[in-house]
Amino acid sequence: MQPDDLTQAIAPRLGSRCLGVEPFPGTAGRVRFDRSAALDLFRIVHDDLGFHHLAMVGGIDWVRHREVFYVLWSDPAKQYVLLSTEVPAEDPHVESATPVWPSANWHERETWELVGITFDHHPDLRRLLTPDGYAFHPLLRSFKIHEPEDLEVKSRDV
Amino acid sequence: MGHLTATPAGTAHPAAPAGASAVPDAAVPFLEIEVLRAKQFIPAAKEALTSMIAEQGQSKLIRPVFNWAGRNSLFPLHWGLACCAIEFAAAFGARWDAERFGVLPRSSPRQSDLLIVNGTVTWKVAHKLITLYEQMPEPKWVIAMGNCATGGGPFRTAYSVVPGVDKLVPVDVYIAGCPPRPEALLDGILHLEQLIRERKE
Repeated sequence: MQPDDLTQAIAPRLGSRCLGVEPFPGTAGRVRFDRSAALDLFRIVHDDLGFHHLAMVGGIDWVRHREVFYVLWSDPAKQYVLLSTEVPAEDPHVESATPVWPSANWHERETWELVGITFDHHPDLRRLLTPDGYAFHPLLRSFKIHEPEDLEVKSRDV
Repeated sequence: MGHLTATPAGTAHPAAPAGASAVPDAAVPFLEIEVLRAKQFIPAAKEALTSMIAEQGQSKLIRPVFNWAGRNSLFPLHWGLACCAIEFAAAFGARWDAERFGVLPRSSPRQSDLLIVNGTVTWKVAHKLITLYEQMPEPKWVIAMGNCATGGGPFRTAYSVVPGVDKLVPVDVYIAGCPPRPEALLDGILHLEQLIRERKE
């Protein structure tokens, strides 16, 4: 599968909400999409293109905006595909992928916890790696290295 | 038999043969029980114990016995956190054989009296560590093994790491190293035994 195939399969159904498909080394391509099209795109990629395995969900803090990306694997095609969307830093939320890939659950919990991107309609958006009540999203660039004593105070009510 | 005749306890009975049923003097000093024959030991020990309890009270006699038993059977909790747990495991293997010091890992905190924190403690696991510590029966001791447990190690400023397990539980012995070798762990355990021996009730 090539980027052109992805464009033919996705662009007519998403319209302007598909922001482009570009080649990406080692994958079938990288699909950039508007976050309002998230669930539609997930269904197309999962049901029509056969990418049944969600390998990874991640987030990147680009300071002015944040990026959410999904890495998917198709067993019949033996190929990866990347989906990527940008969310504004002041309103970082995107639709959850758990209705399509249940394995997105913990990936999205981790992404929310570390990069602070909220996943709407997520069944169980709790912290995964840090204790409940932890006050930070530590992989944000605005996160400063705290003195250990600060962290201790913040986490004491756990 | 040679050592018997050479001691003061033996000189009280210079002719005591091996099969003699003679009971030694009741005034045999308690410290000399090591040189008594087996048949002489029980009455002598009984007499010495009775007189000591009568003179000093029960607790003064029993506490050193418990102290001696406790420090020679330190049972650590079998709880591995990070790479120090590999060295912890090696210390109980054939080469270092920590069991010769009476140190035997137990799988339940209720059977342990030593908590060896072997690895990086994160805030996520912190309250579980406190729970395990509180489940251990008194008297109990804690060894912070390795740099991470001692002071956070290389992750001291990380967002998720407790900078030293002494922020959570009282620590008796710190072992430096990243990770410390099994010899260092054994040294720490022997040091803890020394601390227990010197402990004042």
